[in-house]
Amino acid sequence: MNITRAVITAAGPAQRSLPLQQLVDFDGREKAALEILCAEATGAGIRSICIVVHPGDTERYRDATEGVAADVEFVEQEKPTGYADALLAARDFVGGDSFLHLVGDHVWVATRGESCAKVLVERAIAENALVSAVQPTRETKLPFFGTVGARRVEGSADLWEVQKVVEKPTPTLAEQELVVPGLRAGHYLCFFGMHVLTPGFVAMLEQEVARDDRDRGAEFAHALSRLAGQERVLALELPGQRYNLGEKYGILTAQLAMALGGDERDEVMARLIEVLGELRVASS
Amino acid sequence: MSDRFVEIIEATDPALRDRSLESLCEGLSADELLAGCAALDAYRRRCDNLYQRVRALFFLYAIHRFHLPALGALRERGEIPYEGHERLLGRRFGEAIETFLSVQERDGASVAVSSALAAAYHQLAFQTLADQVRRSVRSVRGNQWMFRVGHPADHPLRIRPELVDDTRPTLRERTPVRMDLSHSCWSDIFFLGMDLPEAARVVNASVDLGVHGRDAQPEPPIEARLRVIDEPVLRLRSIDLEAEADLCELGEVFDFAKDYLGLLKAAVIAAGVVPPGVEGSGQSLAELLERLCGPGRGLEIESRVRDIPKGSRLAVSTNLLASLIAVMMRATGQAASLTGPLRESERRIVAARAILGEWIGGSGGGWQDSGGVWPGIKLIHGRIAGDDDPEYGVSRGRLLPDHEILDVPPTLRTSIEQSLILVHGGMAQDVGPILEMVTERYLLRSEREWAARQHAVSELDRLLDVLRGGSLGDLSELTANNFAGPIQDVIPWASNLFTERVIERVRARFGEDYLGFAMLGGMSGGGMGFFFEPNVRSEARVVLREIMLETKRELERGLPFAMDPVVYDFAVNENGTTCEFVEGPIASAVSSRDASPETNGRGSEAELHTRLDELGFDRAEHERIREGLVSGRLGLAQNRLPQDSELADVEASDFVDVTAGSDDEATRAGEQLLSDGTVAVVTLAAGAASRWTQGAGVVKSLHPFHRFAGAHRNFLELHIAKSRRRARLSGAVIPHVFTTSHLTHEPIERFVGGLPADPAVPVHLSLGRSVGLRTVPTERDLRFLWEESAQQVLDERAQKVRESLQAALIGWAREAGEASDYTDNLPSQCLHPVGHWYEVPNLLRNGTLRALLEEQPSLRYLLLHNIDTTGADVDPGLLGLHARSGRCLSFEVVARHVEDVGGGLARVNGRPRLVEGLAMPREEDEAKLSFFSSMTTWIDIDRLLGVFGLDRAALATPGAVDAAVAKFAERMPTYVTIRDVKKRWGHGQEDVFPVTQFERLWGDMSTLDDVSCGYFAVPRFRGQQLKEAAQLDGWSRDGSAEFVAGLCAWADE
Repeated sequence: MNITRAVITAAGPAQRSLPLQQLVDFDGREKAALEILCAEATGAGIRSICIVVHPGDTERYRDATEGVAADVEFVEQEKPTGYADALLAARDFVGGDSFLHLVGDHVWVATRGESCAKVLVERAIAENALVSAVQPTRETKLPFFGTVGARRVEGSADLWEVQKVVEKPTPTLAEQELVVPGLRAGHYLCFFGMHVLTPGFVAMLEQEVARDDRDRGAEFAHALSRLAGQERVLALELPGQRYNLGEKYGILTAQLAMALGGDERDEVMARLIEVLGELRVASS
Repeated sequence: MSDRFVEIIEATDPALRDRSLESLCEGLSADELLAGCAALDAYRRRCDNLYQRVRALFFLYAIHRFHLPALGALRERGEIPYEGHERLLGRRFGEAIETFLSVQERDGASVAVSSALAAAYHQLAFQTLADQVRRSVRSVRGNQWMFRVGHPADHPLRIRPELVDDTRPTLRERTPVRMDLSHSCWSDIFFLGMDLPEAARVVNASVDLGVHGRDAQPEPPIEARLRVIDEPVLRLRSIDLEAEADLCELGEVFDFAKDYLGLLKAAVIAAGVVPPGVEGSGQSLAELLERLCGPGRGLEIESRVRDIPKGSRLAVSTNLLASLIAVMMRATGQAASLTGPLRESERRIVAARAILGEWIGGSGGGWQDSGGVWPGIKLIHGRIAGDDDPEYGVSRGRLLPDHEILDVPPTLRTSIEQSLILVHGGMAQDVGPILEMVTERYLLRSEREWAARQHAVSELDRLLDVLRGGSLGDLSELTANNFAGPIQDVIPWASNLFTERVIERVRARFGEDYLGFAMLGGMSGGGMGFFFEPNVRSEARVVLREIMLETKRELERGLPFAMDPVVYDFAVNENGTTCEFVEGPIASAVSSRDASPETNGRGSEAELHTRLDELGFDRAEHERIREGLVSGRLGLAQNRLPQDSELADVEASDFVDVTAGSDDEATRAGEQLLSDGTVAVVTLAAGAASRWTQGAGVVKSLHPFHRFAGAHRNFLELHIAKSRRRARLSGAVIPHVFTTSHLTHEPIERFVGGLPADPAVPVHLSLGRSVGLRTVPTERDLRFLWEESAQQVLDERAQKVRESLQAALIGWAREAGEASDYTDNLPSQCLHPVGHWYEVPNLLRNGTLRALLEEQPSLRYLLLHNIDTTGADVDPGLLGLHARSGRCLSFEVVARHVEDVGGGLARVNGRPRLVEGLAMPREEDEAKLSFFSSMTTWIDIDRLLGVFGLDRAALATPGAVDAAVAKFAERMPTYVTIRDVKKRWGHGQEDVFPVTQFERLWGDMSTLDDVSCGYFAVPRFRGQQLKEAAQLDGWSRDGSAEFVAGLCAWADE
């Protein structure tokens, strides 16, 4: 398996401005979130990136990717028909290769050395399989994530063999079908917004989308679930954190995480303490 | 030897493990049994296995309750310390056992202490079992998360977007009820299913219902509706109970007994809409609803059961709970589809949640009860717990059974529908005690019951064969044999006189066209099934209702009926619970309750006042009592003797011990007195049996409570039969008087009129002349009763429900007016008899005694006893002793057991007398007393007349008698009591209200200096009273019933 391509989906009507949001990166430089995402990909050895955007957004996004060290292509998703369609819009770009997929409304902060995408891609190549990055997540967050039911790969601390995938399950269903041995009670393996996908998966996703009774919004999870019944699908817990820019205070939280994990940590800490002190004075 | 019991419990070989306790105890001495108890007690403390521990507890209970007392080797009397009693009430059973064991160790074993140990072991066993079910319910996968959510911000559910579109569509879930065709001897009790899953099997059909003659066709009787509303409230509505509330605070959701919406609230919680974990969090319901439904939004949820009466034995309430849970699970994405049937995995979680809801709401049900959620006719069976089940290693079986839909041939299915008539007989009974009996007998492996259970297992196999291709005749024969055989072998109380008389009359009327009977639930009398040849079914529906109605009319004064019998139309439902969108808004607001007497449970005030006038109601005294209640001069706290009273146990010289029989001389003298026609019997039958039926207002004396000599007999027949035997033995006439009241006179008169006359036992009725009007209790008395008096604490959830109910009832008392007249019920439920003291003076006032003396001038003595003192009879030895004593009154007392609460024989300030429980200066004083009053009294007629200032001749002057009684009455203390009274309304609905009444009590005659009194300590079998129906089982098994049967001579023998 050789992974040199990445697909970033950023066509959701509700998230059109998020990838263009300016954030201060780990190195202290101000960048668009999209640029940070692309850097995550190129850091993992990606040489070509396809960004799926809302019709009419190409130009604005192109500006945000000028400094990216990879070939960047844009594909416009003609109608807002969902995540699966957005991903399939890039099928010509990926051809018959496996590829890295990042969602456009997240940023990731690695907690140990190498970037999250790099770790993921290396493991996918080593395992020669589809690998979805996952993170143990409290059940209260289930309404926001795809969730996998899995069995730990013997001898591995961070790799699971996927058995079932459900998009935004209720805790009732999760408890019945998605409990993963070894996780704390009330925690599930939820998607991290980062996958290495295979041609087999793309074919499966096409089938899901073509179904008369397609379950709109859940095709990705269904396709992955079905694929897991046919071939080895893995889930990898990465040494890092994901930050969803789209949720309330998501941008603020992501920025804080990057700032506190970056070169200017001390300065940011000092400012935070200053703000806290001022607020305390103001409220007392 | 002592380890023999433990070996049986631990045995893996079924032949050994299933040995009965009786067989193990046979031939053992008291010391051997006590050694066995010590080994069992040590074992239950160290044993990790839940069911082995529980079985050890039941062995301990049964040895102390039955086997040790039966040997007759232990002394009767023993101290039952108040500390232990208090711990029992506080559900600290383990500590109570320690207390009682230490007394046993110190003083040696006694029957009294064994009674206390039996009670403690029994309750600990049930608590252990209930705790396990509760843990299992919580640990079912799919339920666990709800207990972890403690804050609205953590709520992981979201309403489905389809429900928040502009039209705000309404979801309607429709659910059939379940009909249990097989009734495999209550094998659906959770404990049984979890211990012996192999035998836990039932055949259960989902059915649609219609009330015959009212509804056009059978439909799913249960409906639950839900929609999103633009108000941040939880709007709950029960159409049947005509109740609606907007809940704005989280605390209100957990307040189950505040209104009639407890079941809806339990469903909201069990569905995870308001997860149980947020109880007591102090968080906001509006915030939780915002998280769930969006800003400013809430939910409206409505239930309806199409007026199917309570007690139908079709698990209406469990299936309603399931229906509500299902619609809420759909709305929150916990079920995949908003409409149509559910998936199997979803049905299972709905069933688990319904069990959870029942626990949360403090009620209970069996594991088959959510059967209506599934389609068609199915086999529901227990499952051995696998290693991925939460029950694995704890119990043999899983909490939740499996459901296997049966492929019943269409012809047979149609035949069943065309043959079976479902009815509600109208009886309302609490099945709870029956389920406890079943559990107990199962764990003791009582021989007869165990054999019956095995038989039921093989009968179920036959039933399955029939359903796969047999005939209707085979089916009806099986269900009828099941009822006549295994069911009643396990629990004889499953049947009753009403059911048997109806079956007998149906059989007589329809002959071979009547095919058989099916008991549909925990006991008969409510929901039942009758099979007929299809060609007579139409006629049978009409006739069956007439027969039931006629039989009800005959028996309704003795048996508790909630309503008139109903005949249903039914059809097997092939869908199970299903859901659809319905047009338009949810049902219109609840209409005001129908004001007709049949449904609102109250009569007219005018009727009440007419009754009061007829019955000689003393309004002046009523007003004096009301004034006393308002001012605080009268009340529960004021019943007590002064705090500085010295109360001690009696000494040996204070009583005559007759537990081993009277002396020969007394017996000979008594026999002579009997032959001389000197004795009449007076049975007190004026009371309303409030403890016997929890205030249902039936006539206890007419309750056919037990089978003697092959037939159901009531208390009245029993007492006459005892007098008949003594009359036959002595060759004398023994007049038998039943004292009556406005509540009991007419039905007793009718019943006595129907009895064959027996010249040896002429029956007289003495109609009470006194009546009281109940009042609404004062808050002070309610608080004293519930907060300051020792009360039995209930299981955690049930206790919460009770506290919520008590708060609501205090609110009701305030609103209705403290100490105001209680008139909001049928007249008979508003009136009360004023205590048994009046019943003896009434004999004087109403001319009964005069008539007796005229008929039989030789009369010198009366034997007075309560209606429920089954063992009381004219014992010649006791009569001889009383005559020899020369006293006015001789009271019979029995060694006090743990359940004997409410007074006893004591020395008060150095003088022996009877003390009512209400009068104890301190609650703990009762524990000092070794003897409990049986109320049975030997009366010397002339001395009693003398005490009243009368003689035989004066009885002919009513004015003088009235004046003498009135003067005497002033010397008797007045007690204020709070009793439960049922108010019936709607379709079999019942509310229980506490009401205040006053009483003067016969035992207080012993407090008067000029009345000479003596006391006889008599055997327990003679002196014990049956106060609660739940006592019947123990009474029938511990030798009491046999003893009583030996005292009787039946007219038909």
